[in-house]
Amino acid sequence: MQAKEIEAVHLQYLQKEGRTRTWVFVTQLLLFAAFIGLWEMLSRANLINSLIFSYPSKIIALLWTQLLDGSLLPHVGLTVWETIVGFVLGTLLGTLLASVIWWSPFLSRVLEPYLVVANSMPKVALGPVFIVLFGPGLTSVIAMGLAISVIITTINIYTSFREVNPNFVKVVQTLGGNKRQIFTTVILPSTIPTILATLKVNVGLSWVGVIVGEFLVSQMGLGYLIIYGFQVFNFTLVMMSLAIIAVVATLMYQGVAFLERRLTSQFK
Amino acid sequence: MMNKTPSTPAKIELRHVTHLYLSAHRAFMAVKDINLRVEEGEFICLVGPSGCGKTTLLSLIAGLEKPTSGELFIDGKPVSGTSSQVGYMLQQDYLFNWRSIEDNVFLGLEIQGIRNKETEEYALHLLEEMELVDVRRSSPTQLSGGMRQRVALVRTLACQPDVLLLDEPFSALDYHTKLKLEDLVFTTLRRHKKTALLVTHDLSESIALGDRVTILSRNPGQVRMELTIPPAIRNALPFEARNQEGFQDVFHQVWKEMEVVSDASKGN
Repeated sequence: MQAKEIEAVHLQYLQKEGRTRTWVFVTQLLLFAAFIGLWEMLSRANLINSLIFSYPSKIIALLWTQLLDGSLLPHVGLTVWETIVGFVLGTLLGTLLASVIWWSPFLSRVLEPYLVVANSMPKVALGPVFIVLFGPGLTSVIAMGLAISVIITTINIYTSFREVNPNFVKVVQTLGGNKRQIFTTVILPSTIPTILATLKVNVGLSWVGVIVGEFLVSQMGLGYLIIYGFQVFNFTLVMMSLAIIAVVATLMYQGVAFLERRLTSQFK
Repeated sequence: MMNKTPSTPAKIELRHVTHLYLSAHRAFMAVKDINLRVEEGEFICLVGPSGCGKTTLLSLIAGLEKPTSGELFIDGKPVSGTSSQVGYMLQQDYLFNWRSIEDNVFLGLEIQGIRNKETEEYALHLLEEMELVDVRRSSPTQLSGGMRQRVALVRTLACQPDVLLLDEPFSALDYHTKLKLEDLVFTTLRRHKKTALLVTHDLSESIALGDRVTILSRNPGQVRMELTIPPAIRNALPFEARNQEGFQDVFHQVWKEMEVVSDASKGN
């Protein structure tokens, strides 16, 4: 085969690939438009309860006014802030706990049943305890976001510490490394991909914790907007909050996924 | 059996070394009553069927484990824990993918706290000897298996150990690479006047590389026979040693012994 022919075949492949990509994207857009359109139509025709489901057009109008009068962004900002603090703290604290448990095999055996219980426990049930402990405010909400992610993070990262190939540890040992050096030169760097993957999971978990926390206590935030909308039976507000959560949570997840790709490129 | 004890201490000496592995289910005797003497600058090969405790012996000499009974000495001093005097090479390279080649090679220097201009230069000089200096800034993932194992050798030699423990370092390589690396390791260790203990499954490799071959039996591992290799074979490069007169005779001798050893353990 001539170089030219190979190039032609490759070009053909790329074009086909490009066409498929375009079609996937177009279909995705159409699906979204159909969903919104159908929703609007069904509501207007009174086939679904417009008091509960509202109208997309009304939701967008509300979003627009609230954006313009500046009453929306503080809610979004607060919830995003609480979520970020929650998942970063959850990941840091989880990694720290995992390190302590890795350090002492005795401690890891002692703590094992407690971790199982703590992991099985639905953390949301601790809500009232947090409110009493930290007062009805920001701290309680962050505590909830943290509580929901910290145990599973600890378990996942500890497991990945233990799954490091013992021969890497042997390399460091034979070079005269002590326990601290084993940890800093092998265990921690080789599990960075796992820690970053955990971060990705924790974004989602922290959203759960923060929204529930806001349901329970707060005077502000997207969770508060949902509860408020529910109490005054303004479901346009509820739907708008849900839409914002969907968009912001996705953006945050993509951001962490991007960070993960950047930081783990050297491991592949 | 009485050991002759010359006035100068041996480089490595094992006296009545027995080692048990303990678990909840059983106590397994890996090696039993091993006596071994390796003089300074000697290249000793340990061969035996799998499960004869070859790797256990290396771990004991490296100070990674304490023998259940018996004594080990290096330069007449009892072994207590790992020492920078002893280098260890594993079956696979276990290079750290998150470090460049150079930083992999400097790992031992870092761990021993002796990384400075002088030691770095020595390590780079070794890289040069192995024709690897061009890839010093590359990632291990970009290197072939043979190159990676050469880097692992440099990593071990960079700390300037006088004793090298080689745990089947050629067995994971393809045949061509293996033969070339055997010659390289052989000449490098000779030039730097290292004492070496090689564990291998490959009988012809043990004869081609070793000054002496020690055959172990298994369940538990015991020294079955020690064989001194004729000077003509001993002094030739491993690749040429295989064509030396008398190589086949030695090979058959070792082969027959191995047959006896394997049959004996099958009978159990």
